[in-house]
Amino acid sequence: MNENFRIAQKLGLMFRPEETLPQDIKGWAIKQLHAPSPSLGIGNVGSDVKPWPKIFQPSLDQKAVKLRIHWETIKRERKKKGGYTESAQRANDRDNLMYEKDILRFSHRNVYGSDQLRLRLMSFWANHFTIGSFDSREVIGHAMEEAILANFNDSFSTMLYKVTTHPGMLSYLDNHISAGPNSNQVRWAKANGEQAGLNDNLGRELLELHTVSPSANYTETDIRNAAKVLAGWGIDIKGNPLSSLMDQGGTTNLWDMYKRNWAEPGNKMVLGKTIGTGKGGLKQLTDFLAAHEHTVMHLSTKLAEHFVSDVPNKTDVNYIASAWRQSNGNLDQIHTAVIERAIASKEPKFQLPMTWLFQVLRLSNATYFMGWNEINTSNNSLKFNMQPMQIFDELGQNLWAERQPNGYSSKKEEWMSGEMFERRIRFADSIWTSDSQIQSTSVIMDRIGASKETRKLVESLHGMSSRSKKNQFIALMCSPELMGLENA
Amino acid sequence: MPNYKLTRRDFLKASGASLFLAGIPLQGFTQDKPPGKISVIILEGGMDGLSAVPAFGDPNFEKMRGILVPENYLKLNSFFGLHPSLKNLSSLMASNNASIVHATSFPYKKRSHFEGQNLIQGGGLTPFSEKTGWLGRSLELAKIPGRALSLEMPLILRGYGENDNFFPAKINNSSKININLVEKLTAAHGKVGSDVFEKVKQKSLLTLENMPRDSQSLAEYAGKAMAKKDGPTASVIRLSGFDSHASQDDGNGNDHGIDLAKIDGVIAAYKRGLGGAWDNSIILTITEFGRTVAVNGTRGTDHGYGSAGIIAGGAISKSRVISDWPGLAKNEQYEQRDLMSTIDYRSVCAACIEKSLGLDHDLIANKVFFEPKLPRVFDYLFS
Repeated sequence: MNENFRIAQKLGLMFRPEETLPQDIKGWAIKQLHAPSPSLGIGNVGSDVKPWPKIFQPSLDQKAVKLRIHWETIKRERKKKGGYTESAQRANDRDNLMYEKDILRFSHRNVYGSDQLRLRLMSFWANHFTIGSFDSREVIGHAMEEAILANFNDSFSTMLYKVTTHPGMLSYLDNHISAGPNSNQVRWAKANGEQAGLNDNLGRELLELHTVSPSANYTETDIRNAAKVLAGWGIDIKGNPLSSLMDQGGTTNLWDMYKRNWAEPGNKMVLGKTIGTGKGGLKQLTDFLAAHEHTVMHLSTKLAEHFVSDVPNKTDVNYIASAWRQSNGNLDQIHTAVIERAIASKEPKFQLPMTWLFQVLRLSNATYFMGWNEINTSNNSLKFNMQPMQIFDELGQNLWAERQPNGYSSKKEEWMSGEMFERRIRFADSIWTSDSQIQSTSVIMDRIGASKETRKLVESLHGMSSRSKKNQFIALMCSPELMGLENA
Repeated sequence: MPNYKLTRRDFLKASGASLFLAGIPLQGFTQDKPPGKISVIILEGGMDGLSAVPAFGDPNFEKMRGILVPENYLKLNSFFGLHPSLKNLSSLMASNNASIVHATSFPYKKRSHFEGQNLIQGGGLTPFSEKTGWLGRSLELAKIPGRALSLEMPLILRGYGENDNFFPAKINNSSKININLVEKLTAAHGKVGSDVFEKVKQKSLLTLENMPRDSQSLAEYAGKAMAKKDGPTASVIRLSGFDSHASQDDGNGNDHGIDLAKIDGVIAAYKRGLGGAWDNSIILTITEFGRTVAVNGTRGTDHGYGSAGIIAGGAISKSRVISDWPGLAKNEQYEQRDLMSTIDYRSVCAACIEKSLGLDHDLIANKVFFEPKLPRVFDYLFS
C-alpha cells in the first residue's frame, strides 16, 4: 500500500473514495486530533449522507427521562391483566430505549465520518475503559462520546475522572450500590436489619486495569481504600424519580451523583497517598493515579501495542511515555507521540475485526448498515437486514456486548482462529452481495497502491462470472495486506 | 441416595504431600487411542464455591454467609449441600456420576480476573508465562485434535496446530465458503495467516446445521460431535456471569441461581449429546478464583482465592466431595477474608487428563503444568 493508506490502516479507518488524499500524511494525522466531525449517517439505505437528526442524539438528561418512562411503562404494564406482554415490551423498547440507535450511529460515524483517527482513538479508550453490562448499555454511547472523545484535547486525568464518575461505569462495576462501612447508610441499614456496605469491584479495576496495573504491587488495603474513596458515587440509572435523585445526591445530574450519606468518612491512604474526605476525594485519587509512573508505562505500552506493533520495542514505548511525562498527561501530546511512532515503525499491525469491517466499507463505498429510519423495522426493501448489534456479535467484537472489564486484546494471537477468519470471508461476501453499487476491486487496488503479491492473489481468481468478481473482492479484503498481517 | 460417607477425617489431605506424590516413571503416553473424552467449562468471573456447594456443616457457615445461604439447598451429606439450581448435578451425584472438589484453586492469589484467567487457561507457573494452554499441550502430547466452542481460540486450547474452534455463524447474504478462494488465500498468506486459513478450508468441507446459540445447545452439539467415531476428544465451553459482587442472591434465589443453573444445564446437555459416549467422558469446571467468605456490603462477594470444582461424567464411578476442609473461621480464611485453597486444582485437571487422554501423570506434571512435583489425586477422583 502507498504511505497514505498504510498510515490510514494503522491509525485510522481508510480514506473513502470521495476523500482527497493528503500531501503530508503525518501532518494530516496530527491535524486529525483537532478535527471533529458531526455524526454523519444515512436515514435510509440509498439516501444521502448527512448529520444524524438531533432527536436521535439525546443528552444524558433526555436519556434518563426515557429510561424513567421505560421503567414506569414496565411497572404499569405488569399490573395489567395478562402482564407485560411481548408486544408491549417491543413497543416500550422501541420507543424508550436508545442503545440500538447508539450502536448504529457509532457505526455510521465510523463508516462515513471524516474524523477517522479520532474515532480509532475513541474505540481504543472505550475498550480500555470497558463498560459492558445490560444495565449500562443505554449510556455506553454517551460515555464514549462525552467522557472519552470530548476530552481528547484535555488531559488523561480529566478523561479518567469523567469516565470513573460516568453513570455507565459506576453501574457496570457495581459502585452505585456500594456504601462506606462507616457511612450513615450502613448505620441505618444495620439498625433496620438490612444489608448495606462496600464492594471493591470498581476500586480494584480502577487500579488494576484503568491505571497503575498489578506492576505497582498495590495491596488489598489499597484496593479497599480506593473502594472507600469511591463509595457514594453513582445511582441506579433506571427508574429513579427526580425527587429521589435530589434527595440522595442533591442534583438530578446522573453524571455528578454523589450520595453523601453513602460516603465513607475520613481520609484514606491509597498507594502511600493520603486522599481527603468528601466528594473531592475521588478527583484527588484519579489525579494521583493518572500521573503515577506505573500508569504512564502501562498505558504507553498498551497504546503502542494497539497502534504501533504487537510487540512494541522499548524505543516506541519510551517515546510515548516521555511525551506523557513532559506534557503532564496531555492527550494531544500523547496521541501525537503515538502517531509519530506508528508512522516511523514499518511493522504491520493486525487489524481487529471491527476496524477491518469499517475499513472494508470505507474502501469499497458499500452501504451495509441500515439507516436510522430503518432500525427496529423489518423493511423488506432492504436486501440486507442485520441489526448492528448482530453484526458486531457475529464479528466477535462488540463494544456494547456484555463482557469482562479487561476488554479486547490488541494482540493478533488472540484473534488467530479459523472461525474468526471465516467470519471475515463471510462478511466480505455479505458486503459484496448486499450492495450492487460497490467500488470495483481493481479501482480499490489502484487507489491504495496494492502490493504485487496482493494483485497476484486477486488475479489468480480471475474469471468472467459474477462469482469470480465476488471472490476477487473477498480475496483483496482478506489478503495479508488488508488484514494487516504483512506490509507491502 | 448413596452414602457419601463424608466426615472430616475422610477429606483428602492435600497438605500432606505423601498422599499426592505419584512417583510413576515418565514414559510418554500410555495408549495409542485416548481412552476417553474431556470437556472443560470455564466459569468466567470467579465462581463463589460456597454458594454452589454450601458447607452448611461448618459451624461458621451461617454466621459468615448470612443472606447468601441458599434456601432449600440440596443435601449431599452431613457437611455439604448443593445450590438448589444444581438439580441435575445432584442426581448425577446420586448416581455416582459426579464429584465435587472443594476449597481448591489454581495457585493464584492476587484476585485479578485478567491474570487469573490467563493462569487457569495457560496453566503456567505465573500469569502470562505461557502462550499455549494446558489442554492444548495435553492434546499435543496425546496427538489428538480438540475443538473450542467459541468465536475466538481460547488460550486453554492453544498449542496444537490442528486444534479448531467453532461457533455457528449467522451472517445474512453470505454463502458457503468457496474452497478455491480459501486455497488461494492460504497460499498468499505467510505462515501465521495460512495456518488459520487452512482450518477454514477444513471447516468448509463440513456441512453445519443451523442451531440455536445458547450454551446448552452448544454443549449438546459438542457431545454429539464427540460421540462420533473420530470425533473431537476435547471441548471447552465458557460461561460468564460469575463475578458476583452484587445482588448475588436477590432474596428469591433467582439472581446468581440463574448462572449456576447454566452450569447445570450445560452438563445435562453434554450428557444428552454424548449418549453412550458419556460413559468414558469427563466434564470439569475451572474458574479464576473463589470469593470472599463474608458477604460484602452489596449482597455479593468480592474476589477471593479458594473455590469449588465440579467434575461430572461416566468416567467417574463413585461420587465424592473431595476436600481438606480449611474451615471458615476468620483465622482459617486466606488473609482473613477468602476461602482457603487446600487442593491445587491443577492436580484435578491432571487427573482428568490422565483419565481421558491416557497420559502418564508425571508427563502431565512436567510437560503440561511444568510442575514436576504436582501431586497426583487420580485415585480420589476415579477409583
